[in-house]
Amino acid sequence: MAFLRRLGRLVLVVFVVTFFTFYILDRIPGDPAERLAGVSATPEGIEELREELGLSGSLPERYGSWVGDIVRGDLGDSLIYDGISAWDRIRGALPKTLETLVLAELMAFGLAVPLAIRSAQRPGGLVDRWSSATAFGLLALPSFVLGIYLMFLFAVILGWFPVLSKDLPGFTDDPVGNLKGYFLPSLTLALNLLAVYVRLLRTDLIETLQQDYVMLAQARGLSTRRVMWRHVLRPSSLNTVTAAGLNVGGLIGGAFIVEVLFAYQGMGRVFIESIIGKDYFVVASMVTIIAVGYVMINFLVDILYSVLDPRIRRLSA
Amino acid sequence: MRKRLGILFWIAVLWIVLVVFLAIFRDSLPIADPVARLARSGECERFERPSWSRWFGCDNAGRDIFARSVEGARPALVLGVVVTGIAGTIGTLVGVISGYIRGLFDTVMTTIVDISLAFPALVLLIAVSVAFEPSLRVFVIVFSILGIPGYARIVRGATFALAEREFVDASESMGATRARIVRRELLPNVALPVLSFAFIGFALVIIAEGGLAFLNLSLDGITWGKEISEGRHFIVDHPHVSLIPSTVMFLTILAFNLVGDGLRSLVAPREVATARRLHIEGTPEPRSEGDDAVLRIVDLSTKLHTPGGLVEPVDQVSLSLAPGEALGIVGESGSGKTMILRSIVGAFPLADVTRAGTVEVDGVDMLRSADTVSRRTLGTNIGMVSQNPLTALNPVRRVGDQVIEPMIVHGDLSRADARERALELLQQVGIPAAERCLREYPHQLSGGMRQRVTIAIALANEPKLLLADEPTSALDVTVQDQILRLLDGLRRERGMGMVLVTHDLAVVKGFTDNVAIVYAGQVVEYGPTAEIFANPQHRYTVALMNSMPDLNLPSHSELTTIEGAPPSLIDPPSGCRFAERCPAVQDKCRTDDPVRAGTDVHSYSCWFPMSEHPVEVS
Repeated sequence: MAFLRRLGRLVLVVFVVTFFTFYILDRIPGDPAERLAGVSATPEGIEELREELGLSGSLPERYGSWVGDIVRGDLGDSLIYDGISAWDRIRGALPKTLETLVLAELMAFGLAVPLAIRSAQRPGGLVDRWSSATAFGLLALPSFVLGIYLMFLFAVILGWFPVLSKDLPGFTDDPVGNLKGYFLPSLTLALNLLAVYVRLLRTDLIETLQQDYVMLAQARGLSTRRVMWRHVLRPSSLNTVTAAGLNVGGLIGGAFIVEVLFAYQGMGRVFIESIIGKDYFVVASMVTIIAVGYVMINFLVDILYSVLDPRIRRLSA
Repeated sequence: MRKRLGILFWIAVLWIVLVVFLAIFRDSLPIADPVARLARSGECERFERPSWSRWFGCDNAGRDIFARSVEGARPALVLGVVVTGIAGTIGTLVGVISGYIRGLFDTVMTTIVDISLAFPALVLLIAVSVAFEPSLRVFVIVFSILGIPGYARIVRGATFALAEREFVDASESMGATRARIVRRELLPNVALPVLSFAFIGFALVIIAEGGLAFLNLSLDGITWGKEISEGRHFIVDHPHVSLIPSTVMFLTILAFNLVGDGLRSLVAPREVATARRLHIEGTPEPRSEGDDAVLRIVDLSTKLHTPGGLVEPVDQVSLSLAPGEALGIVGESGSGKTMILRSIVGAFPLADVTRAGTVEVDGVDMLRSADTVSRRTLGTNIGMVSQNPLTALNPVRRVGDQVIEPMIVHGDLSRADARERALELLQQVGIPAAERCLREYPHQLSGGMRQRVTIAIALANEPKLLLADEPTSALDVTVQDQILRLLDGLRRERGMGMVLVTHDLAVVKGFTDNVAIVYAGQVVEYGPTAEIFANPQHRYTVALMNSMPDLNLPSHSELTTIEGAPPSLIDPPSGCRFAERCPAVQDKCRTDDPVRAGTDVHSYSCWFPMSEHPVEVS
């Protein structure tokens, strides 16, 4: 039942978002059919092309026929590139963006958890003061500024990573080269996330540390490390996990920016290119994918919740 | 005020003032033309490095970067001011109404806010700025709409808290209208939180505009984002072209965040960070020949360094427990009796703690031994049961894992063996479906069952000493007796020493061999339970006994209560600490600390004990 309700909400969100996209695209000046037909085309020719591309009729009609195609598994064709489907455009870009996002989350959590644990163990200590000051600074760094700094430091001065990340080898062909290329863009996103995660997790860890059961675990002679990782971390992680889910929206925006900065053809660049070129079906398909992905991730976060805290399991069941 | 906000706050204010000043008075200051290509006139070379005469150097077209940075501040500031004003005003009103009136409006509002805060704002911004020609007006509208939820949420939270407070209640009961309450009581009180968020919101506007400008989707003219975007192509050979506007932008955002954070610290004081530190003072008292005590405490003092001052909840406490014996520690709440147990195991909530004196468990010095040694003793020789079974078990771990853990860590058992033994233990403490219980989570068990589980965990490694901190006070009356009998039976069966902390003299009478009466951190009377009940010496002990319901008396007979409250443990008074509440108090009691009197078996700290002054001295 709960699952069905969630599914219903997913469909609703995707519907609203894609319809809104069609509406926005409709407002952008310029007519793709006219452009595709070329200068010498007759008005009849343009009308015919429009019909063929699925661009004729009113906004709801066009939207309706696109939805119909989607259900049949056809995302439509690109209106800018001849003979290329919307799926072709997305297929090249999606893995690049996904890899950036996954690496960013891995780095952010990999750094945030130990840092927060150290900070919570000694609030006001050296690690704590440095990590909160750094987090505060990072929150004031927009991703394009942070990206420029990292690019300058690690690529220009130190030369450890390539300056730009275009034409990277596939992960299976050359894992090292691939990861090297995605390192800086991912780190840019990761550091912004890190600031959020460390702050939240530290606060919740300190709160859990005051609990009776933690005191008793210490009184059982368990090592500090064991108490922290086995007893304290999990009950303290709910807010951070929620933040991770909610931040996916901001993260996608950030990914668009680092793709432009590090010059690789991910979802962001394709999206901007398509929206400027009024490439209807590519834009609508990308929006659909992003919206579905976003809702799915938050759905997963909900599931993760009940794994992390069994008390929630009972409530949602 | 200046001191509380800190130097960084004022530096940040200064930076903002500087940026605003330059942006407003640019034309009347000797600043170069931001669009003039100075390379043509030979005034500045392309990519000229920063120097004294040209602070920020020149860009790829030979334009003055300082002038461009000043010019770029203008759209950022204008947009920031207008959007913050509009979004702040609307958001505050929505938040106040939602937090004060609540009801349907609030439900709808929170839903909208939750959805909009989750939406990828940049994707929306990209779409909108392509669809509508980017102009200041379009940006103001879109940014304001995106900004409102943030303010609404903060104000709603603040209003929620305020609406509960007395002065709002008081105005309501004096017949003030709702509109008046909102205007007079609520709005002035949410002003500071709103102002503090306004600075952070301002920074967010600058970041968002910068992101769009970076993607080339922003306003015409010079903006910081656009400068960074153009400059990045030259990062390898001429990094200053992009690094300088980047840093100007970073410092400005940082300044706004610092000011916002500083203002917030005025409303909600920053948490006082208390480090968890354990200090040990003094030298251990050597054990005398032939003393086989399982627990030996000599002159134990525990001090907590708290933000409120130095607290000494355990003051010169000496206790001893022979193997298999049961010792009761009795006192009111706040008397420090729980702290005695915590001082034995060395587990405290976040605090800076100093312990002095001697604590030995089965011959191991618990204060000064190496970490591994004292942990080993904690794990194998001490079991602990705490007051509240609802908080004593980790809510996210299965009962089985929690019972097994000490056996695997300290008992070196395999997982399967430990599980086998856990089953036995659960059966011994009287849990009927032990097999199922192992797989369950604490919240699936009743309070009594949970306490049985904590007892099972405490017994896991066959300890010689069981520390029980009010093990029954959070349980139903019907269960209390069962648990006490269980503990007593286990103690006799295994020959464990047990320390039973309680505020209930009846429990002490039935289940202990010796008893220590604790008042304001000190042991005031100590001796065999039977002896103390028959022949109490300290006035506090007498008062406790008088307040104990006696089943032999008719049910309507009156119970005496002890007037007053125990003294504060921060800076306690000199003399006898019970003096203020003692019916037999003398001048001497208020000035001189009482000296321990009586015998080795039965001791007390009182100037005028019952045996010498049986009637109330006046």
